[in-house]
Amino acid sequence: MKKIGTVILLLALFIGGAIFFPVNKPHVQLPAEKIGDVAGFPITNTMTAAWATIIVLSLLFLFATRNMRMIPGRLQAFAEMIVETLLGLCESVAGKEKGRAFFSLVATFFLFIMISNWMGLLPGYGTIGVKENEPAHVEQQVEQSKEHSAAVVTNAVERKDGAAATAESSKGEELLLPLFRSANTDLNTTLALALVSVLATQFFGVKALGAGSYAGKFLNFKSPIDFFVGLLEIISEVAKIISFSFRLFGNIFAGEVLLGVMAFLIPWVASLPFMGLELFVGAIQAFVFMMLTLVFLTLATIGHGAEHGAEHGKAH
Amino acid sequence: MEALGINGTGLLAQLINFALLLIILRAVAYKPIMNMLDQRAARIKESMDNAERVKEQLAKAQEDYAAMVEQARKDSQSIISQANQIGERIRQESQEAAHREAGEFLAKAHAQIERDKRQAVAELRKEVGDLAILAASKIVARSLDGESHRRLIEETLNESDKLSSN
Repeated sequence: MKKIGTVILLLALFIGGAIFFPVNKPHVQLPAEKIGDVAGFPITNTMTAAWATIIVLSLLFLFATRNMRMIPGRLQAFAEMIVETLLGLCESVAGKEKGRAFFSLVATFFLFIMISNWMGLLPGYGTIGVKENEPAHVEQQVEQSKEHSAAVVTNAVERKDGAAATAESSKGEELLLPLFRSANTDLNTTLALALVSVLATQFFGVKALGAGSYAGKFLNFKSPIDFFVGLLEIISEVAKIISFSFRLFGNIFAGEVLLGVMAFLIPWVASLPFMGLELFVGAIQAFVFMMLTLVFLTLATIGHGAEHGAEHGKAH
Repeated sequence: MEALGINGTGLLAQLINFALLLIILRAVAYKPIMNMLDQRAARIKESMDNAERVKEQLAKAQEDYAAMVEQARKDSQSIISQANQIGERIRQESQEAAHREAGEFLAKAHAQIERDKRQAVAELRKEVGDLAILAASKIVARSLDGESHRRLIEETLNESDKLSSN
């Protein structure tokens, strides 16, 4: 009886949830929302999310390593386990010395991306915010979405209508301006990470092989074929920036949209498996970003003609 | 670019964020933890080396101990055999001494007996002589004077002496 009752309750929530506890239609917008200015510098909600990530990671490791002991406590053991695992991975891919040189960068990529992604799933992200009732601002956003309606996966028409209504009669649907939005749903974040990754690759390449030898990989006049290969190398470096940034952005942004749509369609219970999926995707994306960076760094430091198969994992 | 939300300030801000996180994590996470890991690895290696050394020392000590026990066994055996030899010698010596003493004593006793015998024989001879003279004088009744009788008896006795000693 008890079981049947539970099932009926779940079904009722499943079906009736949307009726009795309506959830707003997800508002999908590509650029991060601006939530304020500090000395003329615009603060977006992905910046606040990135700061939150930085604070969480810093505090975690600060407390874990505040007084290090030879026989670790639980928190210290946990932090050591994280670092040791990542270090082991670095050393196994890049070798002992190089692994240590790359470690700080690669581990920071992993920790920042994964914790950002996971924190983006916390309740409050995307739901706590201020009501947007600044017509000029809305107007501007509407302009954006009008211009690039193809790129923006959104109910642009709804928004335009709502915004127009707000502007005209000020009794239209108010939009929520969330204070936090998962950091990697902003291309600025992912592009910054991609730039750091690719620039670090060049830096370590030059450092390991010398400027002349490293440049020889891109500009080679020994034969037409080598010259052409060099051109391809240049293109591949640029493509790396794009693939890094859009892969991460696309996955996490799509995840947010998926969760929003699921919550709108069936507010209760049904979102749970997708939450799990997003946790998985968040970790996998962090891992992919880390591994690719690590592999590129390793390849850049071991000289010419070893770029094969480096872009596997792009499927994600 | 604007539609994708990419803008200079946002990009710069996130670059700074990442750099900041990198610096903070290097300071509070990577360096101290890696130091600790290395330190612990060194410590473990050291204690394992120590254990190895202690094991070697123990094996060596055991060897030494066994050697010492063996040596002591040999020593004690040689001491015992030496003692046995000495005991044997002392026994022999004392035995010999006893034999010798007994021999001497016996010889002395024999000599004494010989001497006593001689004396007794001499005395007996004199007595027998006197008795014979007395008896003869009584039988012959002064046919012969005492002096010639004595001479006669002496001769007889000497003859008998010679006979008895032969």
